[in-house]
Amino acid sequence: MFESPFAVTPLLAEVRTSDLWGLPPCVTVGGHQVDRLIVAVFVLTLAVFVAVHAVFLYSLVKFRRREGVAAHHTHGDRRLEIVWTVVPALIFLVLFIAGDRLWFRLRTPPPDGQALDIEVVGEQYDWLIRYPGPDSLLGHADDRLETPVNKIGLDSDDPHSRDDVELFNEIVVPVGRPVHLHLRSRDVIHSFYVPEFRINQDMVPGREIGWVSFTATRTGKFAFVCNQLCGSGHTGMQGTLRVVTEAEYQAWMSQKESAQP
Amino acid sequence: MSPNSASFLPRTAGEWLFSRNHKVVALQYLATSLFFLFVGGFLALLIRWQVAFPGEHLLDPGAYNMAFTMHATIMVFLVITPLLIGAIGNFVTPLQIGAREMAFPWLTSASFWLYFLSGLGLLASFFVPGGAANSGWSAYAPLSSTARYSLAQAGQSLWCLAIFLNGLAAILGAANYITTVVNLRAPGMGLFRLPLTIWSLFITAFLILIAFPVLCVAALLLAADLDLGTAFFDAGRGGQPLLWQHLFWFFGHPEVYILILPAMGIVSDIISVFARKPIFGYRAMVFAMGAIGGLGFLVWGHHMFISGMSIILSATFSFSTLVIAVPSSVKTFNWMATVWRGSLRFELPMLHALAFVSMFVIGGLSGIFMAMTPVDVFVHNTYFIVAHIHYVLFGGSLFGVFAAIAYWFPKITGKMLGNLLGKLHFALTLLFFNTTFFPMHTLGLAGMMRRISDPTKYEHLVALQPLNQFVTLNAVCLGLTQLLFIWNLLRSLRHGRRAGSNPWNANTLEWTVASPPPPENFEKIPMVTHGPYEYSIPGLAADFLPQDQPLAEAAKTH
Repeated sequence: MFESPFAVTPLLAEVRTSDLWGLPPCVTVGGHQVDRLIVAVFVLTLAVFVAVHAVFLYSLVKFRRREGVAAHHTHGDRRLEIVWTVVPALIFLVLFIAGDRLWFRLRTPPPDGQALDIEVVGEQYDWLIRYPGPDSLLGHADDRLETPVNKIGLDSDDPHSRDDVELFNEIVVPVGRPVHLHLRSRDVIHSFYVPEFRINQDMVPGREIGWVSFTATRTGKFAFVCNQLCGSGHTGMQGTLRVVTEAEYQAWMSQKESAQP
Repeated sequence: MSPNSASFLPRTAGEWLFSRNHKVVALQYLATSLFFLFVGGFLALLIRWQVAFPGEHLLDPGAYNMAFTMHATIMVFLVITPLLIGAIGNFVTPLQIGAREMAFPWLTSASFWLYFLSGLGLLASFFVPGGAANSGWSAYAPLSSTARYSLAQAGQSLWCLAIFLNGLAAILGAANYITTVVNLRAPGMGLFRLPLTIWSLFITAFLILIAFPVLCVAALLLAADLDLGTAFFDAGRGGQPLLWQHLFWFFGHPEVYILILPAMGIVSDIISVFARKPIFGYRAMVFAMGAIGGLGFLVWGHHMFISGMSIILSATFSFSTLVIAVPSSVKTFNWMATVWRGSLRFELPMLHALAFVSMFVIGGLSGIFMAMTPVDVFVHNTYFIVAHIHYVLFGGSLFGVFAAIAYWFPKITGKMLGNLLGKLHFALTLLFFNTTFFPMHTLGLAGMMRRISDPTKYEHLVALQPLNQFVTLNAVCLGLTQLLFIWNLLRSLRHGRRAGSNPWNANTLEWTVASPPPPENFEKIPMVTHGPYEYSIPGLAADFLPQDQPLAEAAKTH
């Protein structure tokens, strides 16, 4: 049995692995909701596939040419046309509503101050990561301030930017805490893809994308990979994403903070 | 006159090259696009070999990017579009509407040579410094528009030029089709007496006329960014990278329908002929194709759900995409209803047409996943997409092409296409097609990205490597099977059984003239008295009634 795609998953849903068709285990709250929708669509399409092919194959065998049996001469049936226009239309309408509701829920970032803000900047072929530091606020950054030493264009006049913690190809997040990503790119379009998180979002030069957020439901080590062709080094553009306990996170963070210049 | 001297087939090389006869140009298209089919297929095998056996270092990452960029570019622009529209469309259109020629024979020929030139340009780009274009067939800016990012030198500019010429060829062809269908129909051939093949080509021509100019302009903008220092797509200088995606997909999605609609029309006709039964819901089929054509311009954003475009726009495009699935469903149900209570003959064209329906159902159903934004986010740019597009373009369009070639080969050459080899080719193609592309759904759902040259570099993909190797070996078999097809074509040209003028007992007008047809098709323009689908009319001795023969009074009362 699959659950209704409309059900709301409580925060910190139980840990489970997906059992559908080789999907990687799912470790975020939103990801479980996506999985439920995938299962629903899968069951629906499988049913349609089986039904259509059963009728189709049956008629191929049943109505093969036989001596003395002529084909039935008909040009169609208006009632049937209406039925098989309206029924799929209703099914697709339901699918749209289910998908649309989840889409807006997943794309609504947590309110300011409630989530851990992390900036991810893509460049050929690495990831520049920035944490807000002790003040919990990401300093202002702007493409126009970019220099070879200040690749992400950090605004040194902004007091919030001074304690920011910069990392390279590495993200660590605490389990159970909402994380709000701020995605940018320095050069071409990259994509931030974490299969186990069911997250996939292009990073476009010239704009910041701020609608990706997630809450991890279990600890572990994952890879975040570039999933938009970005040049000859595209294959292998990846970083590690570790989900750790809150205590481990605090210890790791304070070590990083003290290591900052 | 001997039957031979009455044939349109040229006898000299000069005639082969410079004839403006629609049937000769169609064969020019056929030969060229079949050549490119094998070029594109060979590139596909290089791609697959690299993915399955990355340890052998067959392609370095740059060459790998070129291979998949050119594979898709060639298959879309040089193979499927010209096969369906240039080859089959040019050959069949005047014959089926009862005309002696296309409206503008000079345009027919010009559009072929522009297409040919675009093919030469793309082939040449392999040999220029820096190699061919390498930013994907969708050429996302700013990777494509900035040489220091892509490291392409002349390749990307040549790609732009070739795409521009290719688009120009398609636009000229479309103007020619529309004029031909509107003006040159035989007396009595009302619009609702046209075979669905013609309807599909007619609607497709409108799609081309609206979509391809946008592509041509986009290619020029890209070339200007590359070579003239403009900044249409450069965010740092006030440009907008997403502008490229909007322009490209505004063309790109109608293009998908340009690639499938003609196959739908052809398959509808073939199923009706070999079921000996009128097509079920003729007008519904026409309206469905019209709806697909019209709605096809409102769905391009579903390629951009993760692009960074406004999330409200994404919701809108999700809706329009699910709406366009309705006419596609209607068509499928009508094909099934046409088979129902028919008297089915499993000749070669019918086998390919039935496979088309089945594969199209799979491709359509997998499309539902992508239409829903939250699901698309997960499968976007994975092998799930690769599976989907190949079910539609290979399982759909290419099976449609095989069906069409098997169906009209006797008309073109006067010989039947070899039956045994043909059925062997069909069975092996169907088998290996599915063993190649179905597992790609699994790869994609397991998180395998497309356009990566070495999956073993990713921890979550290492376990999938045996499946990747399985896919590759089946792809090689699928490629080799296509040699059977070419061998069968060549062998049948020489040894094929003689075909009469109407070997399938079909109704449409091309079957009322000799095989191969005379240069001007009809000695006397036929008078059309009824639609193309009058099969198995009760009370008639023959189970078919060609469109130029009067509908018997006895039948009318039924």
